[in-house]
Amino acid sequence: MSITRKWTTYLLLIAATLVLMFPILYAFSISFMSGAEVLEGKIWPSSFSFENYRDAFEKVPLLHYLINSFAVSIFVMAGQLLVSSLAAFAFVFIKFKGRDAIFFLFISTMMIPWEATMVPNFLTAQKLGWINNYLGLTIPFFALAFGTFLLRQQFKTIPNELYEASQVAGISRFRFFWNVVLPVSKTSLVTLGVYSFLTTWNMYLWPLLVTNTEDVRTVQIGLKQMQTQEISTDWGVVMAAVVVVILPTLLLLFLGQKRLQKGLTQGAIK
Amino acid sequence: MKKILAIVTACLLVILGACSNSTGSSEAQETKKTASGKTEVVFWHAMSGDLEKSLNKIVDEYNKSQDKVEVKPVFQGTYEEAQTKFNTVAGTKDAPAIMQTFEVGTKFMIDSGKIQPVQKFIDQDHYDTSQWEKNISSYYQVDGKQYSMPFNSSTPVLVYNKDAFKKAGLDPENPPKTYDELKAAAKKLTEKQGNKTSQYGFSILNYGWFFEELVASQGGLYVDHENGRKGDAEKAVFNGKEGQNAFNLINDMYKEGTFYNVGQNWDDMRAAFQSKKIAMFLDSSAGIKTLVDNAPFDVGVSYIPVPKEEDRQGVAIGGASLWMSKGISDETSKAAWDFMKYLATPEVQAKWHVESGYFAVNPKAYEQDIVKKEWEKYPQLKVTVDQLRETKPTPATQGALISVFPESRQKVVTGMESLYQGVKPKKALVQAAKETNRALEVANQK
Repeated sequence: MSITRKWTTYLLLIAATLVLMFPILYAFSISFMSGAEVLEGKIWPSSFSFENYRDAFEKVPLLHYLINSFAVSIFVMAGQLLVSSLAAFAFVFIKFKGRDAIFFLFISTMMIPWEATMVPNFLTAQKLGWINNYLGLTIPFFALAFGTFLLRQQFKTIPNELYEASQVAGISRFRFFWNVVLPVSKTSLVTLGVYSFLTTWNMYLWPLLVTNTEDVRTVQIGLKQMQTQEISTDWGVVMAAVVVVILPTLLLLFLGQKRLQKGLTQGAIK
Repeated sequence: MKKILAIVTACLLVILGACSNSTGSSEAQETKKTASGKTEVVFWHAMSGDLEKSLNKIVDEYNKSQDKVEVKPVFQGTYEEAQTKFNTVAGTKDAPAIMQTFEVGTKFMIDSGKIQPVQKFIDQDHYDTSQWEKNISSYYQVDGKQYSMPFNSSTPVLVYNKDAFKKAGLDPENPPKTYDELKAAAKKLTEKQGNKTSQYGFSILNYGWFFEELVASQGGLYVDHENGRKGDAEKAVFNGKEGQNAFNLINDMYKEGTFYNVGQNWDDMRAAFQSKKIAMFLDSSAGIKTLVDNAPFDVGVSYIPVPKEEDRQGVAIGGASLWMSKGISDETSKAAWDFMKYLATPEVQAKWHVESGYFAVNPKAYEQDIVKKEWEKYPQLKVTVDQLRETKPTPATQGALISVFPESRQKVVTGMESLYQGVKPKKALVQAAKETNRALEVANQK
């Protein structure tokens, strides 16, 4: 590649990055501003003080919310990985009557918007006594049609002969699943894991519905709690909290980006 | 768009919630007790940010002041979200004892059958409601019955930049009171740099509430049957003379180039004011204090303008009130009522007014020292209170009572926004009224 082409490519990339990153950079900059500075529409704070960050932790129990969010996200991630991979395994390697029909029925649930089933789900959770409980925050999300679909596509790339050979060798299905299928599907598993962690981390309405105490609430509710409706919001503090809240997601994204890309495109091309 | 979506889902959930509720039994729940034997009163609210802090402080003090009741405040998202959730759980053990609902949800709550009017407790207790601010409590009164206890109330006021007034050669102590004065002042305040306007004279947020207030302040009704207070409203009447005055004002000023369209977001509007993009605008009285604190110039506050001074009727309140839910034990309701009474005491109201900027439900609060001190520091706050107290109690200033208020507001906003696209004010209004009528019709059929 000639030097000028390299330059233009990188310049374009940098420009695109700046445009794409602007909201996050601006949020970061606002997190150091006072209320007046934000409302005056300044781009850069006049001085850097961590007052907003201190306020953010004082106004709402942010640390507690962060821990809750972490716990809930990790549980949902683990649950989804387990349930989806087992379901996908059944759909690929175990032959049973009406398998494909059931699979398509299963996949078709992706078409139902989650909001439509929210109230019935809530009533079920309520009857089971899962309100104000980690159970209500995690278990309803364990079965994920998208995850099963993604992993099924991945598992299908494993030759069936391998499975037959393992049967001949007398290896149990679970050992085959654990020792052969999972290791070769690492990329897809990481993709699904990152995906489910991020979606759970960003959930707002469901956690708000099923929790009534600050003990089990998650971080997104905390963010909402800082924004007022009729009185002007202290955006500096909100943005400070936002920066704290998006850090884990950003970290995860940077760490898992390569695999995430690979995994997602893999599912798409199939 | 997101907001509309939220409203639509909220409505949907309300319906779903209403359907599913029939399965729940309506027997009274057991009284919940805390470990120390106090009666637990769960209080759902939508107060976020600094408001939540002030509210929690008040609740803490109440809990410490006696040993029978323990109030547990729980934040439940925005008013809409809290309402949705309340509708889903009302009547079950997860329902709160006290529920905060915004003013436009009043009719809905009355019709829901999931609440008990506080009048019941007022009567039982021989509580004197005359100590409440009449212009506030009357909003939540229907057929002489007090349905909910007024809590956080606000009204719109005209906010202006005093420094800009001086610069334009206007008297900063004599802000415009009528539409004509407003137009003239806005013209002087509008500054141009080349072809671009660097400072606009005036602005109103594209939000239904401000339109309602502009109509109410002229004594105009929003819907028929005395604003829905004498029977269910059937038709919107806000497209009458008063509504046209308001729309014409916006339209005329926009055409003259003295009116700036700030969009639908409260904070955008305030940002435009702070950055001197607009010199005058309408804001909620509750937001005044932070506005004064944040502005790099002198902020003046005045009554909302009317077409002619003799038209002035005052304002209707906005904000929210506290409802007692049904299906809780007698002991819990009594405990909740005790807390409501505590909230209405002058001392608590004084604190609330000073910290939140909302009005005091009990006017005696204004005689408290902390309020006096605060008013010395922020004389603007007194103006907001005066405007409310000078309001003439009529059905117009009592506020409209319809169950489809959020929907109707959306229609009015669409109407306001169509003005900027050159739609004739009358046509925009008629359209909004027509759509409100349709919503009312559907609601009345239920």
